[in-house]
Amino acid sequence: MLPSAAVFLLVFVAPLSYFFILSFWRVKSYKLVPDVSLANYIRVFDQYHEALLFTFSIALIIAAIVTLLAFGLAFVVRFKAGRYSNLLLFGVLIALFGGYLSKVYIWKIILGQSGILNSALLGLGFIDTPLDAFLYNPAAVVITLTHYMLPLAILPIYGSLRAIDDVPLRGARDLGASRWRVFWDIIAPQCQTGIMVGFTLAFLFSAGDYVTPKLVGGPYTSMIGVFIQVQFGLRFDAPLGAAMAFSVIAVCLIIVGVAALTLRRALRVR
Amino acid sequence: MRDIPTLFWRLFGAVTFLFMISPLLILLLFAFSDKKLLAFPITGLTTDWFMKIFDRPEFWAAFENSMIIVVSVGVVSTIIGIMAASALVRLRARAASVSMILLTMPVMAPPLVLALALLSYFTSVGVGLGLPMVILGHLVFTQPFVILIVYARISKFDQAIVNSARDLGASPLKAYFTVTLPNMRPTIIGAALVAMGISLDDFIITFFTIGGGNTLPTFIWGMLRKGVDPSINVVALILMTLTIGVALIALRVTRYRG
Repeated sequence: MLPSAAVFLLVFVAPLSYFFILSFWRVKSYKLVPDVSLANYIRVFDQYHEALLFTFSIALIIAAIVTLLAFGLAFVVRFKAGRYSNLLLFGVLIALFGGYLSKVYIWKIILGQSGILNSALLGLGFIDTPLDAFLYNPAAVVITLTHYMLPLAILPIYGSLRAIDDVPLRGARDLGASRWRVFWDIIAPQCQTGIMVGFTLAFLFSAGDYVTPKLVGGPYTSMIGVFIQVQFGLRFDAPLGAAMAFSVIAVCLIIVGVAALTLRRALRVR
Repeated sequence: MRDIPTLFWRLFGAVTFLFMISPLLILLLFAFSDKKLLAFPITGLTTDWFMKIFDRPEFWAAFENSMIIVVSVGVVSTIIGIMAASALVRLRARAASVSMILLTMPVMAPPLVLALALLSYFTSVGVGLGLPMVILGHLVFTQPFVILIVYARISKFDQAIVNSARDLGASPLKAYFTVTLPNMRPTIIGAALVAMGISLDDFIITFFTIGGGNTLPTFIWGMLRKGVDPSINVVALILMTLTIGVALIALRVTRYRG
């Protein structure tokens, strides 16, 4: 127990505590000055509320798409794919371990103006001139992060779908329940946890990401992660960056909480 | 009879699956394409981009750093993970689950926040940056996986064989090393490989804590700053093959199904 606890305390609790304290400090002529002021937090919501709003909107969109697609595919694997289900599951696992930066990079070369998608569309005769509408916009970020998070969200949802017993499903159908009723009253409530885990993973990761917006997002995808990272480089304002980070985490926790309550309501057995 | 819902689900399954898998296949294909421009049509296949990368000493430096980090993280996180899991099974269920949730928090934290917190903290404490700090940073989010995997196995472990070893005169320590551990070998190897796969793939924590030098992911990042070049495909493909390879072996030894 001890070594693990030591790693946890020294490399997680201590740095984050220091980072939290740092968020109340200020910077004076490129030096950190200890302080107890909320000025950084006020600045975050004063100057960066648009970036925050944009980030949370795009993260919510990504999390919603990921959850829907992941649920759909997990549903297919569990109920519809028959003998192909093992193959599908194997593909999910391959995609899961395909790597993070590699995937962002692949989307950069697929979506680029002289990239793979454009050249394929040209070659197939769908378009006459290459479109530059694919890369360097929020949609590219949505596609890339959806692709990255999809296998991660499928596994918990599939896990809860797999645990569902077949007998009550058949019983309900035999007793005259429609497919929809079986779905909403038996299947959906039982995969609440899996859906919530998938949604939360996708949302948290998307809201905190800075690599994807930087590589495929272009200049108008102003996600908060990029602003946070800049404070530790060019801007040299670590306290402000720390305040941004904790603001993001706080709002994320609220949103995840609200999402969990909404989901519980939506999936309640009527 | 093929009714419409069935058709819908088949189509949906196929399209989503293709969306998930085809980018990986595209990378594989274009790592061998002989054109400098990354676009269709592909005129021929070549291994030139591999040769070009293998000739660069920076690639091997990054490769070496990656291997040092991955092996250290694999070994250390497995050892401390087994220790933690063995201790956790002796706790009460409630205390064990609370500890487990705490230890899993680093996995849920946004990597950027953890990375920047580590960067600020290491510089303020004055320990400097470098490979040891990268390894420490990786341990905190790989050990939860080891602990969870090993804990799941130990809690289902047949204590009767340990008891018989003890009855036959083995000390608790001897019983642990000659009965418990060897019986969990597949689980332990699997857990180590999962930790290694996660460590190998990490970019953000590594990028902010390594100071100087590269690992494979940060090497790709560096190449990307100089524009898109087919050799990046090769490094990305090598990295992807390594992580998928490690994961597949892990799945095989632990006989994981879903």
